Amino acid sequence: MTLQASSSSVKATTQNKGGLASISLSAGLMAAVLAYPLLLSSYQMDVARDALIFALLALSLDFLWGKAGVLSFGQAAFFGMGAYAVAIVGPMVPNDNGALAGMVTGIGLAVLVSGIVGYFLIYGGVRGAYLTIVTLALTLIARNVATSWASVTGGEAGLIGAPPPGLSIGGWSVTASDSVSLYLVVAIVLSVTLTALWAASRGRLGRVLTAIQDDEAKARALGYDTSGYLLAVFVLSSGLAAIAGGLYASAAGYVAPDLVGLLLSTQAIVHVAFGGRGTLIGPVLATVLVIHVQQEVSSFSYALWPLLLGAFFIAMVFLFPKGLLPLISDLVHRLVPRRDRGGTA
Amino acid sequence: MYLEAALNIATMVSILLLVALGLAIVFGLMNILNMAHGELVTIGAFTASLVQVHSGSFWLGVVAAIIVGALVGWVLERGLIRYLYDRPMGVILATWGVSLIIQQGLLLLFGPSPQIVYTPIEGSITLFGNPYPRYRLVLIAAAVLTIAATAIVMNRTRFGLDLRTVIQNREVAELVGIDSRRIFMFALVGASALAALAGALVAPLIKVVPTMGADYLAPSFFVVIVGGAGSLMGVVAGSAFIGGLRTLLDYQVPTTLSQALVLIAAVVIVRFRPRGLLPA
Repeated sequence: MTLQASSSSVKATTQNKGGLASISLSAGLMAAVLAYPLLLSSYQMDVARDALIFALLALSLDFLWGKAGVLSFGQAAFFGMGAYAVAIVGPMVPNDNGALAGMVTGIGLAVLVSGIVGYFLIYGGVRGAYLTIVTLALTLIARNVATSWASVTGGEAGLIGAPPPGLSIGGWSVTASDSVSLYLVVAIVLSVTLTALWAASRGRLGRVLTAIQDDEAKARALGYDTSGYLLAVFVLSSGLAAIAGGLYASAAGYVAPDLVGLLLSTQAIVHVAFGGRGTLIGPVLATVLVIHVQQEVSSFSYALWPLLLGAFFIAMVFLFPKGLLPLISDLVHRLVPRRDRGGTA
Repeated sequence: MYLEAALNIATMVSILLLVALGLAIVFGLMNILNMAHGELVTIGAFTASLVQVHSGSFWLGVVAAIIVGALVGWVLERGLIRYLYDRPMGVILATWGVSLIIQQGLLLLFGPSPQIVYTPIEGSITLFGNPYPRYRLVLIAAAVLTIAATAIVMNRTRFGLDLRTVIQNREVAELVGIDSRRIFMFALVGASALAALAGALVAPLIKVVPTMGADYLAPSFFVVIVGGAGSLMGVVAGSAFIGGLRTLLDYQVPTTLSQALVLIAAVVIVRFRPRGLLPA
């Protein structure tokens, strides 16, 4: 689909890790993952759609954590801003532009908050663990706002009536209200974002970010405004998280404070860590896989899932710090030597 | 009114001090953040509740909480953190996993409803014409005593000297023969015991539920950020600032807003004093 088309156009310039074969393999895999749910029932398609939305959230985190090295627990806060903006602003806007207006509001809010907090912290020289803690606080506060500012957010009950994605210009209008079109909207947003981030990471931006992760002092000495780069990535990642939240509210038709909690941020971290941070496509595939497993486990025992999550964190740190999917692909590469591969993943 | 506000601030600051002190020292020593620190507060409160229910004595529960907290800290250090000294991000992730497991484990064992804790000292005392609960005064006194004891350990003992040396410069400390990992182990055990003590002391005033740790994690990290890592005075300054501001704001605005305002204040301070108000 979209991904395949654009990946073939960038093929000529590839020389980073992963050659032609692994890029077409990723693109093919991605296309298969995206296309497969279209064959399913509309209920299963809705489930798959939510998985893709969380994949977008994981992708937003991977750009920040994997590419810039900033671990954030704040993704849920920005996701919530997007979701609540669509549910609050959306119904006020006439025609079919409600979701779009809400989305723009949500992105604006996320960019504003992350811009202000990020400016003070990042230019204040705050890095690493400190930054992580502040993002954690952002999520705690967002959750509190969602539950206690009941007159606006609906409190514990949340809000219903978030409008579906649509567009109306003059007399012409289009709305995505059935399962298939909702799924397609989400799949398209995800593929475009994935392709854009992937393309951006291959260029100069990606290399500067790698340099910052390796040794920020050196990168700064070479004349790069490292704080500026980090701030830009932080703001961009927050905006993407808000888009994911907006899509969620718009597609589901409601929001609830559960969406904004630390658990959502934690799951995004798991998805990224599982898929291999910095690989962009890994977290997307991992999200789809993990959410599938999560449903199986939750239907078996609801209480088991957080325990498994916790155990997963510990196992990950010790057993597969690079992620589980990269580990598997490494093993496959080792077991099946292939002449045409450009490098190891 | 003013006296009551001052005493409420003192209560809040005492609790924050106990929770954040260990966190600040551990962070100052090894740049390691223990995300399960909040769960040690929870464990302290649960231990106090359980022991009180079974033995009838709250103070026995407090002692038990200190022991259990130290034990959990020791297991955490020996079983997990010691393998991750050179991977701060790994510590964050692994201890976050521990935090999830403890929370969910307590939830499975005890359920979501609050545990029963009876206030050990009933009644109130009249200070300058204002009644104030006796227990809170005891809590403040206990916190002050604990901090004083910690200050003595840090400034007057051989262990404290080694500890401060490692905080100032780990390499030099190793060169002069200080086993920094051993120091760190004791620091983490002490930090965990202090957090559990805080949990036990605060138990009669709050709802003792499995998720209570999260309420202490973020504020105590703010104390460390604002005050500065690795210094006792920094923790005192940070606790006074965060606790004082929170309590004062709670009188004026809803809790949510006061939380957000405290975060903003902390973020602004960090911009101008990146190493905290009183760093080591």
